[in-house]
Amino acid sequence: MDPGKFLLFTMAGLSEAAFLFIVAAGLSLVFGALRVINMAHGSLYMVAAFVTAVVAAQMGAVVGFWSGLLAAVVVAGALGAVIEIVVLKRVYQAEHLYQLLGTYALTLIIAGGVRYFFGANFRTISPPDFLNGSVSLLGGSYSVYSFFMIGAALTIGGGLWLMLYRSPLGRNIRAAVSDPVLLNATGVNVSRLYTVVFMIGAILAGLGGVLVAPSQVVSLDMDTNVLVLAFAISVIGGLGSIVGSLVGALIVGLIESFGVSNHYTAHLSIAFVFIVMAVVLTVRPSGLFGRPEP
Amino acid sequence: MIPSVLRRARWAALGAAALTLVAACGGSSSSGNGQVTFKGTKNVGISTALTGQSALYGHAIQQSLKMAEDEINKAGGVNGYKISVEVQDDGGAVDQAVNNVKQMILQDNVVALIGSVTSAQCAAESPVSKQNKTLYVAATCNSYQLTTQPALQNPYWISIVPNTFMEGCAAGTDAAKRGVNNIFVVSPDYLFGRSETNAFVACLKKGNPGVKIANDPSTWFVKYPHTDWSPEIAQIQAAKPSVVYSNIFAADQISFINKATQTDPQWFTKYPLTTLASVDELQTLKDKYPLGMRIYMRAPFFQLSNSRMDTFVNSYKTRYNEYPSDWAVMDYDAIKMWAQAANAAKSFDSDTVKKQIVGKSFDSLRGYKFTIRPEDQQANVGETIGTTVDSGGKYPFPILKDATNLNGNDLIMPLDLVKKLQGGQCKNDDFANCT
Repeated sequence: MDPGKFLLFTMAGLSEAAFLFIVAAGLSLVFGALRVINMAHGSLYMVAAFVTAVVAAQMGAVVGFWSGLLAAVVVAGALGAVIEIVVLKRVYQAEHLYQLLGTYALTLIIAGGVRYFFGANFRTISPPDFLNGSVSLLGGSYSVYSFFMIGAALTIGGGLWLMLYRSPLGRNIRAAVSDPVLLNATGVNVSRLYTVVFMIGAILAGLGGVLVAPSQVVSLDMDTNVLVLAFAISVIGGLGSIVGSLVGALIVGLIESFGVSNHYTAHLSIAFVFIVMAVVLTVRPSGLFGRPEP
Repeated sequence: MIPSVLRRARWAALGAAALTLVAACGGSSSSGNGQVTFKGTKNVGISTALTGQSALYGHAIQQSLKMAEDEINKAGGVNGYKISVEVQDDGGAVDQAVNNVKQMILQDNVVALIGSVTSAQCAAESPVSKQNKTLYVAATCNSYQLTTQPALQNPYWISIVPNTFMEGCAAGTDAAKRGVNNIFVVSPDYLFGRSETNAFVACLKKGNPGVKIANDPSTWFVKYPHTDWSPEIAQIQAAKPSVVYSNIFAADQISFINKATQTDPQWFTKYPLTTLASVDELQTLKDKYPLGMRIYMRAPFFQLSNSRMDTFVNSYKTRYNEYPSDWAVMDYDAIKMWAQAANAAKSFDSDTVKKQIVGKSFDSLRGYKFTIRPEDQQANVGETIGTTVDSGGKYPFPILKDATNLNGNDLIMPLDLVKKLQGGQCKNDDFANCT
């Protein structure tokens, strides 16, 4: 493969990995801190994408995307808080099955709500004007927005790392993962901390939805599409590990991109993702960067 | 002398008897204020995509059928009955479509079904229609296998949409005539995409045996519905074809166009697309729909102007503030054809109504009469091919130049092929593999 083609498929894989990483990082964070597998994570991603599309359409090309981003983050965060307080707090001590059923029920409720509030039709939005161009490299064209997505993913990933490892909030989150009872005894309101963590997870899902909206269509089935891949990434990278989410997203994005480029693997590119997931689960059940559950 | 009370009672009884007689003879009646009185209501069902990838099409189909329903009822209904179009959303999902159709037949007693959006749903619904002897008029889904594949043959299936052989070949022949070479193929991976692409390639190669297909057949078909086109965009750039052929549609086509234009504003100049399209895609993208693309369409109103079509377009535009898509046109024709046949049959029985359809000709919005030929119950409907061009302000979306309205008689599958397919003499039920 010549360098030009290699770059084309690498960039295609990276731009897909970018939004998948953001979504999977949220899923992973929530599982790591709360030990909850949030089936409604894709729904928050979808809600944010619809909010962005609606606000962008109202506000126009210049500020529409940014206004949409702001509104979507607020809505996703608020919805996350409501979900955590109203539903999850009641099932933390229950079996995982109850948590799965509870959050799955939320996906259906939210899907109905999105249809009610935003309608059944898909929507499209354009990137902000200054991100709407393209650049040529080694004979291929690349949208500026793809670079923006990759940059945004790296920035968000970096911010998340700083928050987790260089801030008091992150210290509390990590302490809650290790021993929530002891943390509670030190005076930290763990219940409120859980709400904050879930909100951060929801905001990450929302950011993924916002970022992907200009590069795909915003539609009612986008929640399940992303959730399947986000789970695969989290399992490959290790539920609870942000670095694992990054590596998992890169694996999935690049497998999909390079997979379709070759006629031997074109039919199997999506299957390869799940083959990798199955292999990781077999060899290292906690994922590449995950820690085994105590 | 008869008391006045008794006289009035006698007149009332006579009136009631007359009404009963009129109803028994099959006619509806008008009350004094001009309103039509019906004997009852009969349901016509459709399971369509009001959500999901093809929601754009389902939206137009629903609107058109409701408009036709009103017109039919205003004209006295069918066999004295009011017609009610029952629309159920399948979201493009096959299992939901089958559930919808079963429910509509078994619980809601629909007297006929109008076809779903994609061949995936239609292929799954066909056995249900056959088992329950419910007439099914396909106006959108169009794989030729639906009328020719031995396992799918259904005596109650009528197709009034150009099938994949007709439009795939029409596009392939057009591309061959235009000297297209080095072509990249990308299509949805399900019955329709494979059927139409194979027809396109077969007819392209027939017209231009030396044509180069830039990508291996194993890479032609992509997951449907498709959300992220990044890998295919990279693939096309790596292959550097002179033309891209696709039959991706609705949200997938819009998503592809958006992504390609973001990648390179000159994308469609470098890699012109020849594709299936409808007024829905044009109307959605408006001036962002690329110009200079060679597209084939099933029933574009702006290219098929005639008095019936113009009246329909005006009514539709007035009622919905939108232009009718190809799907709206064809589904309107579908239910009007069924209503005409059921009235002629004086019955709702599928076998009786079918006798008034198969072998008969019907007026259409498309400006020509179409005939349902008996062998595969496929209508000889046409296809329009042209190159997208700015409408000059006439419409808020591009129209076609250098356009041709192809005659259905020239497109319809030859009967010897139909018989071979129906007889199971073609490998993979593909017309190109018949012995």
